[in-house]
Amino acid sequence: MSDRRALLARLAPLLLIGVLSVALLPDTGTGLRLPSADILPASEMRAALDRLDEDATVLVGFDPDLGTYAEIRPTVRALVADLLGRGATLAFVSLTPEGRALAIAELGRLERLAVGPGAVVDLGFLPGAEAALVRLARGIGPVPADALVAGLPRETTLSGAAMAVVVGGNDLGARSWVEQVAPRADDLEIVAVAPTVLLPELQPYIASGQLAALLATPRDGAAYRESLDLGALDPVTDPRPGAPPLAILVGVLVAIGVLGEAVGARAAGALRAQRTREVT
Amino acid sequence: MSGLFGAEPVDQAATWVAAAATLIVLGGLLGERRIFGWSQHLLAGLATGFLALLAITEVLVPRLLTPLAADPVGRAELWFGIALVGVAAGAPWLPRIVSAVPLSIAIGALAAFALGGAVVGTLLPQLASAVARPEPTLVATLAGVGAATVSGLVLIGFVHGTPRGRFLTVAATSGRWLMLAGLGGWLGYLLFSRLVLLIDRLSFLVGDWLGLLP
Repeated sequence: MSDRRALLARLAPLLLIGVLSVALLPDTGTGLRLPSADILPASEMRAALDRLDEDATVLVGFDPDLGTYAEIRPTVRALVADLLGRGATLAFVSLTPEGRALAIAELGRLERLAVGPGAVVDLGFLPGAEAALVRLARGIGPVPADALVAGLPRETTLSGAAMAVVVGGNDLGARSWVEQVAPRADDLEIVAVAPTVLLPELQPYIASGQLAALLATPRDGAAYRESLDLGALDPVTDPRPGAPPLAILVGVLVAIGVLGEAVGARAAGALRAQRTREVT
Repeated sequence: MSGLFGAEPVDQAATWVAAAATLIVLGGLLGERRIFGWSQHLLAGLATGFLALLAITEVLVPRLLTPLAADPVGRAELWFGIALVGVAAGAPWLPRIVSAVPLSIAIGALAAFALGGAVVGTLLPQLASAVARPEPTLVATLAGVGAATVSGLVLIGFVHGTPRGRFLTVAATSGRWLMLAGLGGWLGYLLFSRLVLLIDRLSFLVGDWLGLLP
């Protein structure tokens, strides 16, 4: 590789960052839309939430991971605001350390915003991964859960929980809830928000009805957020929800360009080698 | 935009620290490895410290020590728990047959729950849903037949090195191509989501830190 080419290769990431940063600035209006044209996942989520009774208790399994939480954060916050707007009591529980760290941050944010005092309960961290899920599933039934879960007010039980919202990550997410909790809590509906990397793993659970709803791509999340009218709870959502579509478009074009350059260089190399063989 | 920081001076300081950490990590893309390496050590140290804090404040004290202090005789199983914690902590200095006990219990329980859950929660329901059956509408029925066909072809695609006829070869090849098409679609989604993550960090720098976004 020549010096000039090596310098260009070294500066390419800086150029990409610069181009993406500039692409953040203009307002593209309605020219580019992030929300997916297929509104089925968003509609399924709304329909599942519509089935909740007023003042329902919703268990929030909060186990995103640090690497991918930024992708689902606007959707998670919108979903929390939507649930609070429906009068639900949200009981947050985490089964992974990363999930607990992010739950602490989000619960602190809700406390600062003074949203729904008493409507958010922190059940803390449950150690034991799948085994902890099994214990939690037993707590959802008629057995009082106050002895199971740190932080739960003594008189509170999870027996009224009608829905579990699973905010998943790479470690422990909707699949574990479907496998461990669903068979032990028949009346509990499970909906999930997950990063795109988990889409192939979770899509079959939607088809089989084991998950009532799933938002697993940025576009599905944007479609769901667009369908909400949160009113006074709007501050709970992200101040600037989602990535600007223009920046994403520029990034995708750059990625296609890099891929095309790599494929083109390979094809050209093969062609040159074939010509050389023909000449000799 | 994380929205996790408020407007107090301490929040402003947190924004600056986060911006510095973001710049250091992005600097790794440009070949700056030394400071990037330090940031990795910092992350590992913080994660370990948080894990220890979590274990003490949310597991050991409220679930083990406090109940034991309240009723040392009535909660005999907790003494067994303390013994397991002690053995796990002293594993480097104990005979292997003793130190393996807590690890064996943890792995055994995990495997038992995971295996049972996978069969009851995933394998059987997914097999049931992969079977095509009459649906209320023709489109839904055809979609079910299509899904069952794709499932079958992809399964046949995993047949390697066994004697098979022309039909099976065509089916296996189709199955592998279908699987590749699925992987391609998933990788496209993945690229999209990784871009969202990068853009989120840039939004933080340009918006929260520099205040250039409206």
